[in-house]
Amino acid sequence: MKLKRTIHQVFAIAKTDFLGITRNKTAIFFTLLFPLFFLIIIGFTFGTQGTGETSRIHVGTVNFDGEMIVVNNTDSQNSTIGDDFVQALKDANFTVYEYSTYGDKDTNGTAAYDISRGQIKIAIVIPANFTEALSYQYTDSLGTPIPTKASLDLYTDPSDPTGSLIAQQSVFGFIFGFIDHYQSIVIGQLPESFRDYAKVLADPVTVSTSEADVSGRQLRWIDYMVPGTLGLVLLWSGLNHASVAIADERAKGTFQRMIIAPVSSITVLAGKFVSCLAIVYLSAVIMLATGVLLFQVNLYWNIPAIVLTVFLGALSAIGLGLVISSLAKNVQAADAITHLITVPLQFFIGAFFPLSIMPEPAQIFGEALPFTKLVYAMQGIMTKNLPFEAVIPEILYMTISGLILFTLGIIAYRLSLKRL
Amino acid sequence: MNLNDIEVKSVTRRFEDTVAVDNVSMNVARGELFGLLGPNGAGKSTLTKMLCGMINPTSGTIKVGGYNIQDHPMKVKELLGVVPQDIVLYDYMNARENLAFFGKLYGLSGGKLRNRIEELLIFTQLDEKAVKRRISTYSGGMKRRINIAAALLHEPQVILLDEPTAGLDPKNKLALWEIIRTLNKEGKTIMLTTHMMDEAEELCNQVAIMDKGKIIALGSPRQLTKKVKMENTITILPDKITSKLMEATQKISGVKSSYRAYDESEKIETLKIITERAEDILPDLVSAISSVGTKILSVELSRVTLEDVFISLTGRSLREEEEQV
Ligand SMILES: Nc1ncnc2c1ncn2[C@@H]1O[C@H](COP(=O)(O)OP(=O)(O)O)[C@@H](O)[C@H]1O
Ligand SMILES: [Mg+2]
Repeated sequence: MKLKRTIHQVFAIAKTDFLGITRNKTAIFFTLLFPLFFLIIIGFTFGTQGTGETSRIHVGTVNFDGEMIVVNNTDSQNSTIGDDFVQALKDANFTVYEYSTYGDKDTNGTAAYDISRGQIKIAIVIPANFTEALSYQYTDSLGTPIPTKASLDLYTDPSDPTGSLIAQQSVFGFIFGFIDHYQSIVIGQLPESFRDYAKVLADPVTVSTSEADVSGRQLRWIDYMVPGTLGLVLLWSGLNHASVAIADERAKGTFQRMIIAPVSSITVLAGKFVSCLAIVYLSAVIMLATGVLLFQVNLYWNIPAIVLTVFLGALSAIGLGLVISSLAKNVQAADAITHLITVPLQFFIGAFFPLSIMPEPAQIFGEALPFTKLVYAMQGIMTKNLPFEAVIPEILYMTISGLILFTLGIIAYRLSLKRL
Repeated sequence: MNLNDIEVKSVTRRFEDTVAVDNVSMNVARGELFGLLGPNGAGKSTLTKMLCGMINPTSGTIKVGGYNIQDHPMKVKELLGVVPQDIVLYDYMNARENLAFFGKLYGLSGGKLRNRIEELLIFTQLDEKAVKRRISTYSGGMKRRINIAAALLHEPQVILLDEPTAGLDPKNKLALWEIIRTLNKEGKTIMLTTHMMDEAEELCNQVAIMDKGKIIALGSPRQLTKKVKMENTITILPDKITSKLMEATQKISGVKSSYRAYDESEKIETLKIITERAEDILPDLVSAISSVGTKILSVELSRVTLEDVFISLTGRSLREEEEQV
């Protein structure tokens, strides 16, 4: 009976708090839409780049393979492998522009001209002897093949280092794949006894990513970013809301009015917690749905693991918010402190940019944040399809951090009751 | 009748270096309409907050409905309906949603809650259209009424109202007084705080006057005004004021002094007579004035008010305090 009454009270408080957000345009923006705004802006700017999304990479080819050259004192005009190469590029979904000459930046219709105009990010020049070299047509007078390398020339756009780098890496990936494929054909033609040596010789180090590149299965930035935005959700929907939830009601006097009703202060806290959680989950759903609908992210949906991970992360966010909410002098102060924390912190949790590109102190700081652990765990589960066991270290870290921060939150809250 | 719904014994509350409530003791009997009258900063709100368990006394004991608030806070909270000094409602919800929320805090639900809400909406005379709009669109008077209704959902035996009519226009003030009287007639024990002497005088049957954290007088308004030996003022508007007139009035026995006063707002000169027995000397005064050939256009007798009681006890007026704050 008493428990039922308490539960009714908790939900009444949670519902009222929740309506306070959903009926207030500013609150909707900051607690629900702000992370979304980030996802969309950054998602559209960088998100769909990545070695896998090859169709966005505009590649120019200048295929001289079909030109007449002299091999072993005879004219040769074989373009088989060069043509295969270009065809494979197209098959790998690159957007391919074909040119008859590399040219220069002032001559319309040449590869160089299109690079300078940003039409293509990279040009591949295939030499005239491409097929001849790869098919061992160079021989000495006795007919023994002379090993001759086929050399490709790549030209990139220096005015767009990032775009060029991405294009270059994708093309490298493709070339490795192509070489791999070629090697296995050649090795297949060797006498049985040589094959195993040749395989090792050809591939002393196997680089498995190259294969993924060609297949177009490699993950895009956005595939990491969408689960990563759940870290933003914790900051903007969890921390941000929790930090004003109590300060705001204390300023309006509604908190005091709840306390003078036969409602224990812990019941009020529970109501606030339920509402904060509801907002976090609502925001998470909005974020993931946007990722799926707008950016077609392909994620793995281990729902119980996602729900649990977000819950543990929310403990830290809400706990920290409670500390701020309870100790801040007023709502404005609580709001200011929260923004001071949230705005810089969002760049350290690996949501937009991998921590590895940051300077070392920043990495150490970022790694220590429970929100970063959430980002890692979510990327592991949703993007990489790791089993739950693989993210146990992150889960443990978040659990401990959540318990500590939430306990601090409760202590701060209890202290604040003395200042009514 | 000896049953006290509120018992306050030697209660003190300090905030850092201010003593907001200073060793206060007082009782409110069941069914009483009790007024705590005092200027701003007297400690009325602090005492109210301690009564409802929002803050704890530094020392002393408080009982509500016979329960010690320290030992049985939840029991006391069930018994009390508290109307805070400021409007404390969720302005993004409408009247019904607000009442439903506060009702649920008091453990009401379902049909019972709905019935109570409808009863109180009728009681507070809010029309159906207004009920559906958010509180933020309400007038001050409407907000005040919902603010009170929110404290009544669980039918409390004891109702605390902290400055219930502050900031209201006379019409809304009278309407609220009527609501408070009705609740009292229904048998509720009511304690309200106010800094307006007319409110204490006309509404309450027991009044405690509070100043600087202390209760300096306690009793019915009649008892309180009687206690104070007051000089009354008779204000006379004659057709002309002459020195002969002044001499004549000063000769009457019982007149302490008389003087000419210029009334700024009316732009007229009046004759003021200071006396301890206004009613007794009035006939002599009238004949003395006519004997010097002056006509009386109007006579005004000032009554002893709780304001006068406060002034006689503290040397300051309730109003002055308010303006300083
Ligand atoms: N939370 C508080 N902290 C410090 N001083 C306070 C606090 N609340 C009230 N006071 C002080 O206590 C005194 C009484 O205030 P209050 O009870 O609000 O008076 P009233 O309601 O009669 O106007 C005032 O001097 C006020 O400044
Ligand atoms: Mg007050």
